[in-house]
Amino acid sequence: MRFAPNDDQAMVLDMVARFLAARTDPATMAAGPMPAQDWSALGELGLFGFLLPEAAGGMGGAPQDVMLVAEAFGRSLAITPLAEGVVICGHLLGAAASSSRGDQLLAGIAQGTLTLAFARGGMISDKGLTGHLGLVRDGMAAEAFLVAAEDGGVALLAADDPRLHRRPVRLVDGSLAADLRCDAAGAALLEVPEGQVAAALALGQLAIVAEMVGAMATLLDLTVDYVKQRRQFGQAIASFQVIQHRCARLYVMLEQARSMMLRAALAPEGERQASVAAARAYAGEAALRLAEEAVQFHGGMGVTDELAVGRGLRRVLLLSRLFGGPCAARAELAA
Amino acid sequence: MEMSFSPQQLAFRDEVRAFLAQALTPRLRHGAALTSGVFAEPDIARAWQAILEAKGWLVYHWPETAGGPGWTPLQRWIFEKECAQAGAPVLPGMGLKLLGPVLYTFGSAAQKAFYLPRLRSAEHVWAQGFSEPGSGSDLASLRTRAERDGDHYIVNGHKIWTTQAQHANRLFALVRTDPAVKPQAGISFLMIDMALPGVTVRPILSASGDHELNEVFLDTVRVPVADRIGEEGQGWTIAKFLLENERGGTAFAPQLLADLVRLQGETGPLRGELAERALRLRLEAEALEITELRTLAEIEAGEAPGPRSVITKLIASEIRQGIEVLAVDAFGMAGLQWPEERPFYDAGVPAPFHSATAQVAAARYLNARAWSIFGGTSEIQLAIIARAALGL
Repeated sequence: MRFAPNDDQAMVLDMVARFLAARTDPATMAAGPMPAQDWSALGELGLFGFLLPEAAGGMGGAPQDVMLVAEAFGRSLAITPLAEGVVICGHLLGAAASSSRGDQLLAGIAQGTLTLAFARGGMISDKGLTGHLGLVRDGMAAEAFLVAAEDGGVALLAADDPRLHRRPVRLVDGSLAADLRCDAAGAALLEVPEGQVAAALALGQLAIVAEMVGAMATLLDLTVDYVKQRRQFGQAIASFQVIQHRCARLYVMLEQARSMMLRAALAPEGERQASVAAARAYAGEAALRLAEEAVQFHGGMGVTDELAVGRGLRRVLLLSRLFGGPCAARAELAA
Repeated sequence: MEMSFSPQQLAFRDEVRAFLAQALTPRLRHGAALTSGVFAEPDIARAWQAILEAKGWLVYHWPETAGGPGWTPLQRWIFEKECAQAGAPVLPGMGLKLLGPVLYTFGSAAQKAFYLPRLRSAEHVWAQGFSEPGSGSDLASLRTRAERDGDHYIVNGHKIWTTQAQHANRLFALVRTDPAVKPQAGISFLMIDMALPGVTVRPILSASGDHELNEVFLDTVRVPVADRIGEEGQGWTIAKFLLENERGGTAFAPQLLADLVRLQGETGPLRGELAERALRLRLEAEALEITELRTLAEIEAGEAPGPRSVITKLIASEIRQGIEVLAVDAFGMAGLQWPEERPFYDAGVPAPFHSATAQVAAARYLNARAWSIFGGTSEIQLAIIARAALGL
C-alpha cells in the first residue's frame, strides 16, 4: 500500500512540471492549445514514450504513469491532445497487430510530431467507413484518425482522404475540434484484441480525470491565494468564516476526487473500468463545482476572460463533460 | 505506487475473517444490526469485549508496549474492515479508543498498571466528561472547578452529553484547576470514580427515543490527586490528543460501506432517485476509504500524515446521515415506525411492520443527526480544515 510516486516517476513529474511552468503565465494560464514546438519538445524529452506501452515502442504506459503525467498537465491547464491523441490512440495502436504504418504513427506520437485524433461511430463496410462521427477533439490538427466504429471494429483513417470531410468547430476551452463526416472513407482495419478498445478508452478517461484533479488543485491554490490578498470591509476576505468554510469544502472535494483518481489508476485490471467510471462520476461533478466556486470567490474578476479562473472553468467544463460526463458515468455504474 | 495487500496481509485478513465467522454469534450480529445508537448496548458490548479480549484483539489499536497485539496501521484497518463487513458490534469507544491511548501516553506507571487492565476487563466502564452546558464547541471555556485540598481535589461542576454514563462507573473529565491563567492553560485531566459521594447522573432522552446521553453533576466530589493524568494544567494538551483520536483514530469508511450494502440487501433494488442517492453515497464512501488508506499508508511508511487526515470525520458524518435518511425514504411508511421500547432487539419490542431494519430506521435517522455534532461539530471541522490544510 503506497500512494506516493517512485523515484523514476518523481523525476518525470519534476521534468514535466518545470517544462510546463516555464511556458505558463500563472496569472492567465493557457489561452489556446499548446504550440506544436512545445509539444514536440516534450516528445524529445521522452515524455510520450513514458506514456506508451512497451508493445508500442514505449517504456511505460502503466495507468499510474498516465495518471501522474496527466495530473501535471491538468495543473498547468494546458490544452493538449494528451488523453486521446497519446493515451487512447497510442494504446490502441500498441494493442493492434504490428504494421509498418502503425509503427510509423507510434513513432510520430512518441516524438510529438504527429497528431492523432480518436473518434467513435460510423459503420465499416468493404467500401470504407461511413457516418457522421460528431465533434472530434483535435480533429482539425489530426493527420490521422482512429475510429472505434459502431460495429466494434477499429479503423485507421488518413485525414487527407477526399471522402473524409471536416469542418472546424471551436470548443469551450479554446481548442479546435472537427465536425467529422465520412462517406466511405478509406479505412485500414486494426486487429485489436477484444477488450482492448475498452481498456484504451478507460485509460484515456483516467487521463481526463487526472487532468481535472490537477486543474482543481490549481484553481484551489489560486482561490486561497486570492482570498488571503483580497480586502473588503477593511480586512482580507479570508478572515470571514463563510469563506474559510467554503474553501475547506473545496479542499475536501479535491482530496476525495484525488482518492477516486488514485483508486482508478491503482485498481487491479479487472476492476479498472468500473473504478474509472466511478472516478469520472465523482471528479466530474466535484471539478465543476470547485471551478464554479473559484470563480465565485474571485468576484467580478472571476467572470472575466483575463484570469486563470475563468479559463480554468472553461477547461473543467470541457474535461468534465467529455464522454457523456458524470451522468453517463453514473449510468454506466448503475447498469 | 501500489494499492494491493501483501500475501501476509491477505493471510491476516483471512485469519480475522475466519475468527469473526466463528466468534460472532447470531445474538451478537442481531444486536449489532438493530442498534439505533452510535455504540452497542451494554449486554452486547460486554459479551463482544470479553470475546475479543480472550482472543487478544480487544486493544488492537494500542501499541505492543501498552499491551496491544503489535499490529501495523494496515493490519488495524484490515481488522476494522472485516469487523464492519461481518456486522460486528461497535464497542463504546470512551475507554478503549479515548482514555486508553491517553493513559498509556500520559499516565504514570502506577496509573497504567491499575487502570489499563481494568479497562480491558470492563471492570471499569468509562464515560467522557468534556462538554458542559455553556461549553460545547468552545470547550476551553469549561467551568467545572477542581480546587486542591491536600491530596485531593474538590470538584464542583456540571457535565453534559455524557454518552452511556448510566452504564459507566468511571468518568474522565476536564476540570479547571487554575482560573487565573488563560483558559486553555488552566485545565487538568481527572479520572473520577462515579461511586464517590456527590456524583449524580441524570438521563437525557434523545429525540430518537434512545437513552444514550446524560448529565453528570459533580457536587463537592473528593478526587485523589493521584487520579490526575499528566501535570496540572496539561489537560488541554491531553484533550487535543484525545480528540484527534476520536475524530481520526478509526477508519470510518468500512462501516459506512458495509451499512450501505446491508441496507440495500434489506430494501431490495432501489430505483430512480433513490438509486442515484445510493450510488452517490457509495462513491463518496469509496473515496473516503481511499482517503483514509492514503493517510494509513503514510503512517505505515513512517511519515507524518498530511493535512488531509483532518477531513474524514466531516465526510463520514455526512455519509452516515445520507444513509439513514435514504433508509427512511426507501422503507416508505415502514420507515416511520417508532416503538418506545429499547433496545430494538429486545423481546419486549412489538412485532415490526415490514422488517426489523425498517422498524429501527427512524430512530437511526434521528440518532445520526448527532454525528455532525459530537466529537467537534462539522462547523468546527471545517474551521480545522481551513486552518490546517489551507492556512486560512
